[in-house]
Amino acid sequence: MILTQNLVKRYGKMVAVNEMNLSVDRGTVFGLVGENGAGKTSTLSMLATLSTPTDGYAYINGYEVSRNPREVRRSIGYMPDSFGVYDELTVMEYLRFFADCYDVDRRLVRSRAEELLERVRLTDKRNTYVNALSRGMQQRLEIARCLMHDPEVLILDEPSSGLDPRSRMEMRAVLQGLRDMGKTIVISTHILHELAEVADEIGILRKGELVAVAAIQVMLQHSNAYRTLVLCSQGDDDGMMRVLAEDKQVLQVERGRMGVEVLYAGTHTQQAALLTRLVETGVRLTQFTEKPTDIEDLFLRLSAVQEGM
Amino acid sequence: MRTNPLLEKEFRQRMRTMRTPVIITGYVLCMVILTFFLLYENVQGQLYLVQPTKSQQVFVILSLLQMVVVAFLTPAFAAGAVSGERERKTLAVLLTTPLSPIGILLGKILSSSALLVLLVVVTLPVYSLVFLYGGAVPQELIAVLGFQLFTIVMIATLCVLFSTIALRSTWSTVLCYGTVSVMMVVFGAVGYGLKMMYQQNPIELFSLHWANFILALNPLYVEASLEGAVAGTGRDWLTFIWFYVVVNLVLLIPSLWRLRPQWFSRLPGGRSHTEKQYQ
Repeated sequence: MILTQNLVKRYGKMVAVNEMNLSVDRGTVFGLVGENGAGKTSTLSMLATLSTPTDGYAYINGYEVSRNPREVRRSIGYMPDSFGVYDELTVMEYLRFFADCYDVDRRLVRSRAEELLERVRLTDKRNTYVNALSRGMQQRLEIARCLMHDPEVLILDEPSSGLDPRSRMEMRAVLQGLRDMGKTIVISTHILHELAEVADEIGILRKGELVAVAAIQVMLQHSNAYRTLVLCSQGDDDGMMRVLAEDKQVLQVERGRMGVEVLYAGTHTQQAALLTRLVETGVRLTQFTEKPTDIEDLFLRLSAVQEGM
Repeated sequence: MRTNPLLEKEFRQRMRTMRTPVIITGYVLCMVILTFFLLYENVQGQLYLVQPTKSQQVFVILSLLQMVVVAFLTPAFAAGAVSGERERKTLAVLLTTPLSPIGILLGKILSSSALLVLLVVVTLPVYSLVFLYGGAVPQELIAVLGFQLFTIVMIATLCVLFSTIALRSTWSTVLCYGTVSVMMVVFGAVGYGLKMMYQQNPIELFSLHWANFILALNPLYVEASLEGAVAGTGRDWLTFIWFYVVVNLVLLIPSLWRLRPQWFSRLPGGRSHTEKQYQ
């Protein structure tokens, strides 16, 4: 559905996207993750036909973005990272305007708009002026706008940026709904944990290069190889430290506010053996827990690995 | 055939505000008061003294005044047409729709000129007062109306193209008012200056030629000379039309480049630009 081959974007001497090879299957939700300036927006604006690749190719729905931009535009719904709205229109007029831009059959417009407003939870706002909507509502309206012509691909550039936690949760629910619709979606974000519940695959972009692409489950499994254990004991901290120092799978020990944090590289069997040794040594443990793996940690680890290469 | 969605949206946005009826009502009232004043002044309260030549003068003054008003009002509606979209960050989304850049520009031009066209049309009954006393003929009114409508659309086109090229509304507004001032004031002054040079030194046919050309670019001069055009003697309006059509066509190229730089990417050096104009 989406394919890039050695895609390059340069602005003068600066390389924004470097030799990107990406493949996103139909119906997949692909998260493009990277820090600010990593090249996410440059990539998405090429896919959205707003800018031309300096080199390489990008295909959407079989159409090459430089050669068949009109067909690409009909196939996509694009939401930029910072967007504006037409304030003096009502929500319904706003959707109708974009439906007209895409030449959507007028007989379908109302029913489709109603259906989408329900999906983005704005049904009761249909006659409200767009400038009276909160930022979160405007962002959800933008999602509805992207869907008015029923595109096969959605390109969402930081759809949750600038939202408060509540609006972010609402947006996440909307995105999960879109996944259920079977759309192919590319979402860029720098808030990684948002993608864990929405994306099927994640690509990590760093300085214009796609450094890792994997299914989110595979990534999380991979992250288990580097677990963080939190240990607390009553009294005998030195004994605990001695046992930890003897274990070859312990990579790092840090004293935190919640207890001793241990970066552990062993298997679950080795982890059980460590617990047994601690107990047998007479360490009176009050806590031996595995800290939930955050996708953000994984990203930082992978980035660090790349940095070291 | 479906109307340009941008045109429909702009109409909706413009016509629902209070500003529109206030402008129209205020303008018509001003024109009515002015017409009565001019007619009254001409006859000094003695209506039987009205002569067709005086009535003709009133017609010319009214139409010239209307030309000045619409020429300076048009940039107010058109100067931020595309740059405003860019500043509100709605342009990028518009450009990812199947709307063509020509369609976007056309929608903006027509919607910007629509209110001005309406202003000109609603003042037609005021002109009918002039016909009560003879002087001007209906063909002159049609010629003046046609010329005013053309000038409105032409200035709106210039302003929309400037607002596409200039990126920021402030610069676009400066360019638009600067251009309108050159058209209305500078071309008139330079043209008459050259004509005076010729009158003082009739050998200088060169200055006469340029005087005629430059004056033909001044909307007020051309409108005033339409009486002769109706009689079949003047062709300044033709110079006016071709010159500004060519100017607009030339400005269309950088405007399209701003909106769709991809179209120009196959030209030499076409890929080196930054394409940052959407933000």
